[in-house]
This record gives sequence, structure tokens and C-alpha cells, in this order.
Amino acid sequence: MALAPAVVAALKEILEPDGLVLTPEGRLVYECDMHTLYKGAPDAVALPRRAEQVVEIVRLCRRERVPIVPRGAGTGLIGGAMAARGGVMVGMNRMDAILEIDLANRCATVQPGLINLWLTDAVKGRGYFFAPDPSSQMVSSIGGNISTNAGGPHCLKYGITTNHVLGLEMVTGAGEVVRLGGKVAERPGYDLTGLAVGSEGTFGLVTAVTVRLLRAPEAVKTALASFASMEAAAEAVSAIIAAGMVPAAMEMLDEVMIRAIEAGIGAGYPKDAAAVLLIELDGPRAEVEIHGERAAELCRRHHALDVRVARDDAERALLWKGRKEAAGAVGRLAPTYLLQDAVVPRSQLPRIMREMAAIAARHRVLIANVFHAGDGNLHPLICYDDRVPAELERAQRANEELLAACIALGGSVSGEHGIGADKAKNLPLQYGDADLNFMYRARRVFDPDHLMNPDKLLPTHPACGEGFRARRPTVPAGAWI
Amino acid sequence: MAVTARSVSEALRGAVGADRLIVDPAALDAAAIDGCTPRWLARPQALEHVAAVLAVATDERLAVTPRGSGSSLTLGHPPARLDIVLDLRDLDAVVQYNPDDLTVTVQAGVTRTALAERLAPRRQWLPLDPVDGAARTVGGIVATNASGPLRARYGSARDLLLGVRFVQADGVSTWGGARVVKSVSGYDIPKLMVGSLGTLGVLVELTLRLHPMPEMETTRVVTFSTVDGAQAFVARVLDSTVPPLRLEILNAALLSACGAPPAPAAVAVSVGSVEPAVRAAEKALTELARAEDGMNTGVGGDFWRRYDAAMPAHTYPVILKVGTLTTAVAATMREAERVLAPDVAVAGCAPAGVVRVGVRASAADGVVPGIAAGVRALRALVAESGGSVVIERAPRQVREAVEPWGAVEAASLALMRALKTEFDPLRILNAGRFVGGM
Repeated sequence: MALAPAVVAALKEILEPDGLVLTPEGRLVYECDMHTLYKGAPDAVALPRRAEQVVEIVRLCRRERVPIVPRGAGTGLIGGAMAARGGVMVGMNRMDAILEIDLANRCATVQPGLINLWLTDAVKGRGYFFAPDPSSQMVSSIGGNISTNAGGPHCLKYGITTNHVLGLEMVTGAGEVVRLGGKVAERPGYDLTGLAVGSEGTFGLVTAVTVRLLRAPEAVKTALASFASMEAAAEAVSAIIAAGMVPAAMEMLDEVMIRAIEAGIGAGYPKDAAAVLLIELDGPRAEVEIHGERAAELCRRHHALDVRVARDDAERALLWKGRKEAAGAVGRLAPTYLLQDAVVPRSQLPRIMREMAAIAARHRVLIANVFHAGDGNLHPLICYDDRVPAELERAQRANEELLAACIALGGSVSGEHGIGADKAKNLPLQYGDADLNFMYRARRVFDPDHLMNPDKLLPTHPACGEGFRARRPTVPAGAWI
Repeated sequence: MAVTARSVSEALRGAVGADRLIVDPAALDAAAIDGCTPRWLARPQALEHVAAVLAVATDERLAVTPRGSGSSLTLGHPPARLDIVLDLRDLDAVVQYNPDDLTVTVQAGVTRTALAERLAPRRQWLPLDPVDGAARTVGGIVATNASGPLRARYGSARDLLLGVRFVQADGVSTWGGARVVKSVSGYDIPKLMVGSLGTLGVLVELTLRLHPMPEMETTRVVTFSTVDGAQAFVARVLDSTVPPLRLEILNAALLSACGAPPAPAAVAVSVGSVEPAVRAAEKALTELARAEDGMNTGVGGDFWRRYDAAMPAHTYPVILKVGTLTTAVAATMREAERVLAPDVAVAGCAPAGVVRVGVRASAADGVVPGIAAGVRALRALVAESGGSVVIERAPRQVREAVEPWGAVEAASLALMRALKTEFDPLRILNAGRFVGGM
């Protein structure tokens, strides 16, 4: 559905000449995020530089009933930043300024297009950092991180993006400018900031963000333990948590992944390792030393083949190298893969690993694992060859079964990637009709015309909204006279 | 009229059980809120009871106020209407405790003390410790977004609530969030419920993140000859690599209520970790204190218990909760001392910028205009930074003389109203008590 000429003309009025992409080849660049199964090029891409332009774009689109799809760096993994219904995509990349750094109050206000790592780069010289660290942090934008409520390896200790967002300036789907929260955390009324973080662009477009900055820890210690089985490694993880330690990160790689990494860049993992556990502790030096020893001892007690502790930053970087290259290394195993993001209670890791092996065998698919073991957030990469149609189908079936298994253990369909177009259909696994109905109605308050990133985050339904309406409990018979 | 009331009573009895619907006048008087006596007092023992009571309430347009321990019944505006008080204290089961996952699911009426006792054998805790809140229920703490000194390390309810079951005004039981420590599936409904005072739904079951208790903990009080000295010490601690477990700023009146040596201002700081790390932190704190001419004062092991009891309701019938910047806690303290009674007690979590101001009964009696003026002055002070002053506890006259919540930015308030209208159009839940008289 092409845009009406009047809409294009109005967009040209709002934006600078280089701020509007209309050519087919230009729009094609924006047809998907990193989940390339979901494609949909927008009819136009707007690249605003100022919040006022964002307001005008939203008001124009609302007037003309044109869908709006927000986009950050396009590194999302859920088919969130793609325009299945066409419309206007709003790329926030050019609004990337740091507006204020207030170290005394440990916060910063930035524009949404700012690259995640650039914020830490701006304050690390003074001993501070921005905690959310998705693996994409070198390229992903803070606005995008907020949209998906992104996590990262270190959220085991520090929490995910929402724990670090103090305030948002947003243009709602109704075209209203609202300032939610701010530098002062304590304030009366509903926590709309908390509700908006992770709303995947369905409430509106964020034009400024106030985030927490944390004081960098005194010491960091990284250790790597290898195990002969996934179960032994998973049990070591549980033991470390149960012993009262909260490492900054606990990351695990399985045998398939280890082989792929060793065949590629090589990280020097033991040849007979079937699981590698990367443990990072940070905090006061004395605490890190003692917890490091205890964690290593717990790994040995759970039959670790080998425990290595990095002695300096160079060794630390080497231990992390394999983990950071994992997703790329999978390319050696198969042309492509489905990436899962489900969560299980961390005490259930050994069990889900057994179930995953059974699912992989049943559907004859190769599953590689690299995940945030400390908080039970799985990232199985279900490999398939997209040139063989039956393989995708098998991979998808394995994927669905695995999700159901995670939910059956009390888990969640997504730990840090979000829902987008990819997992909306899976939400009913985790939520009942009343729960989804509540979410639908919350969405409508911010976006009454359903123009903000339509069809994302919530399952579509023939009678969405009222159709989900749950039945009230009936009053026991005989209660009425 | 009488016939209708009787049939509604029948319906409510059917909903909650005859022995759990109280209509005895004395009991109803005791359940009054701000002088509004309810027509019914319901004590549900199961989630289904809550749903059934609210279904009747919606059918009959009855206003319902949920309550836990009753510590916050004078938070906000007096009720605009009140028919049913829903006492949730019998929903007191620990539904599931998973120590290996550091999570717990509890019913809303579980008290902080009861939960703490359950978690202590595994050396875990729910670090939500509002002052004077041992008897408070977990549901009430979350619904009022109450926090205490441990917020310095562990954050507030929004950082700890993972999942929540609530019953909407029309009786529909609804779940938001997850039972695992990490989840981003769907909207973050738990965040919406924190601090919502049950105005979008009655919280009935909560899944919370727990933390391991530190192996060792020490506390010291550092006194200063000026309020600014205390502020400067706070800044030094926060800019150091010592992660404080608690970092509270205290004025002279509160310091003396805690039985500490007199001083114009003080900072109480505790650290927790393994022993060598605690010792190292202690050493660092001594140096940081010395740099600001602070006097290190040894305190007994029960300092935090004394701190907890330092602003009792009979002495301090008015308590204000000020939200401000970390860098403005001392200025807030000074202004509170200037504009309110001379022996006003002030204490707060400096890293979070939450300052509590207690006004003595002697000052509260018959000087409502003075308190109202004081609240306005504090609001003017914190307004520029987006801060807030909420009347956490006060007699009705005070909250009628001055807006108990303060102003909320217009566009945000409009969204809040729209949410309230969407989910509780008949204003069944806590009618009129919340921000903007919602």
C-alpha cells in the first residue's frame, strides 16, 4: 500500500531532504531487523533529527491512518522493526546526542539513537558505566534497548534495561508529548515509565531517555570452567547461586557450540569439554577474591575438568572471546538458525537440557546452546538449512516444543529479546485471555488507533480487545434471593 | 432500600462465606477509614473470594478499599465513597518458595516478618524494609511502593516484583509478569501495579526476587557539625567503590530518637559482604568520613531496630515522603527543619533521594495551616528537579488542607486517568484516594 501523495508531501515538509527515504532500494534496507524471516519494507523511512519532527510525523500519520514502525539500530531479534503493513518507519538513529551527564546523581539523559556503548565510553574515565549490556551493545541504540527491555550477560547481577531507566520523553500514538518519570525516582502515580519500557514501540516513539549510571566496581574476576557434561555444568550454576553468590555473569556454552567456536576462531577450550561455564564476579576486591575461590571450588566439586582464572585483562578478554563470537561461529554448523530466548527457573537447567536433547533427537535438528545460565535464560540456536524446506519446518516444530517445555517448568517465552512479530503467537502459552486482554487495553490507552507498530508484541485476534474479554466468575448458585 | 441492602449482604455472604462477612457495627466502626464507616467488612481467605466480592461490588456499584496491616490507610485522599473494606490479612500463605532460584510466591497478606522468618534458614531475604514496617503485608508494601534503607543496595519494589496476580474491579482474576527472574514477554504489568494503591486491581499474589543475605554486616553512624558535611560524605561514599547496604541521612531530632550522641546531622551507613571485604569497606569509610570532618560513632547492634522505631505514629502523626535528587537530600532536610516544627524528625535513603519528614504531635495539633504551608514550601523546593512530596500519614484535616499527593505532570496524569477509566470505569477500587482524586 503506497502512501498517498499528500502524505509524502507532508513528510517532505517535516523532514530535511536527506531525512526521508522513498526509493525502493532505499526502503529495502529497512525491510527487516536481525530476524530475517520477517520482512516488510515500509512505504517511507523518516529519519528525524528533532523531537518536534517526531511529533509532527506521529500527528500526520494519525490523521491519515498510516501505521508507524519505530526503528533503532535494527539489531533486534524478534521481527519488531519491520513494516508488514507498510506505512512510515521512523529511524531514530540521527537523534543520538548525550543531553546531560549528572554523575553526582548517577544518571544521564540521552537521545534514543545513542549507541549503548557510547554512553559507557563517555563516563568510564570517571569510573562509571551504563549497566545494560546486550551482546549488540557496540551497535544497538539505547532507544532500541528500551523498546525491547534488552538484557545482556551482566544483567544477572545488575538487572535488565528497565531497572536502569528513570524517565522517558515520549510521543504517544495519540500524538501527545509526555514526560514520564525523570531524574527523581520517587514520585506519585502509576509507574508509566516501567510500563512503557519493553513496549516495543507500541505506545509511541521515545525522544529522550534518562538512565541510571553505576559506579564501576573495584575489581573484576573472570573464570572459565569446563565440564564433561551439560548437566554437571548446570548443577555447578545452581550450587553457586544456592551458596549465596550473585556473580555479575554466568554464561554457558554447550558441546556443539564449543566445537563450532574451536573450528573457527578458537578460544582454547579443552578438547573433551561438553560444556563451558564462564563466571564473572565483580565488586569489592576482597569479596571478588573469596567468591572467586568459592565458585571455582564448587565447579571442581561438580566435576569440572578444568578451571582457569584470568590473571589480567588480556586473559579475561580471551576467556570472553569464545562467548562473544558464539553466534557468528554457528555459521559453521548450518546456513541459518532459529534463535530462542525462553527462560526456565535456574534450578531447572539440568532438566531442560535433558528435554532439549530429546527434542533435538526427535526432530532431527542440531541445537547449539550459548546462554545466560545464571538466570536460566536459554539461547538455543536451532540450526537448519533454508534451502531444504522440510528443515525449517522441523526446526520450527522443535522450537515450539522447546518453548512449551520451558513454560511447563514455570518459565517465560522471552528473557531479553522481546516478542515482536516472532513470538506474539506464543504469548498465550504464558498468559490467559484475561491477562492478554488487560495488555490490549493498556496498549489502547497509549495508542487508541492501533497505529504504533501494529501486529507486534500481542497476538492478533479476530476480535482483538473485546474478543479477549474474559468471563467474570459467577456468583455461587443460591446467593441471590 | 433495606431489602436491597439485605440482598447485597446475601450476595456478599455467598461470595466470601457467612463467617467472613462482618456486619457487626462495632467491627465496622473499627474498620472505618478517615471517619468513613464501611457497610461491610470482608475477610477473604482465598483468591476466589476476592474475585467474587469484587464481582458483586461491580454489579451493585459498591466502593471497595483493600487493606493489609492498615499502616497506610491515611495515605492519599480520604475515600470518596466506601462500602466494603476488603481485609486481605487472611490471604497469608507462602505459596511457593524456591530457594535455589531465589524466588518466592506469596499471597498478598503475608507479613514482612512472617516471610523473613521463612527465608532466614536459607540466609535469604526480601530486601523491602519500610521503616516501622515489620507488621506490614507484602501486598501493602508493593501497592504503596514503600521502601526503606535497603533500597540503597537492592532497589525498590519495582526491581523485586517479578509477577503479580490481581483481581480487576469487575472480579476478573489477572496475571502479569513471570515467575522467573528474567522475563520480557508482553507489557511489564507488575511495574504498573507497584504503587498503584490497588486502584487498577486488588493485588492478591506476588512473585518476588530474593537476595542472599550478606555473611557479615556492620553499621556505623558518622556525625557532622553541618548538614552540608553529611551531604558531602554521602557524595564521597557514592563516588567510591564501597557499595553501601544502607546509607541514611539523619537530622538531629532523629539521631537523638535513635539514642545516638547529639549532632546537627549524621549519616548511618552499613556494609555487608564477606568479612575481609567488610573490613576493607570499614577502613575506606573511616577515611571518607575523616575527609569531611565526620565523627565516627560506635552504635549498638540494634541501631536499625531503634531507627525503625524512631518515628512512631503517636509521636509523629504526620509523615511526609519527599522524593528528590541524591544531591538535594541535605537541602531538603534543612528546608524541612526551617518550615515545619523546630523538632521535626528527618531521615532518608540518600542514594534513592527518598527523605521522610516526621512532624511531632505537639506541632500537628491545631496547626494544620502551618503543616500545609510547610508541605507547599517543600514542594516548591523540589519542584524544579521533578521531585515530589507525598503525605504518607496524617490526620484527615491535614490532607484536606493540602493536596496529599502533590501535582503530577498534566500529560502523565491524563494517561493515568485514562488507564483508571479503562480498568475501573465505575470507580469501585479505592474511590478517590489516588493521585488526582482518582
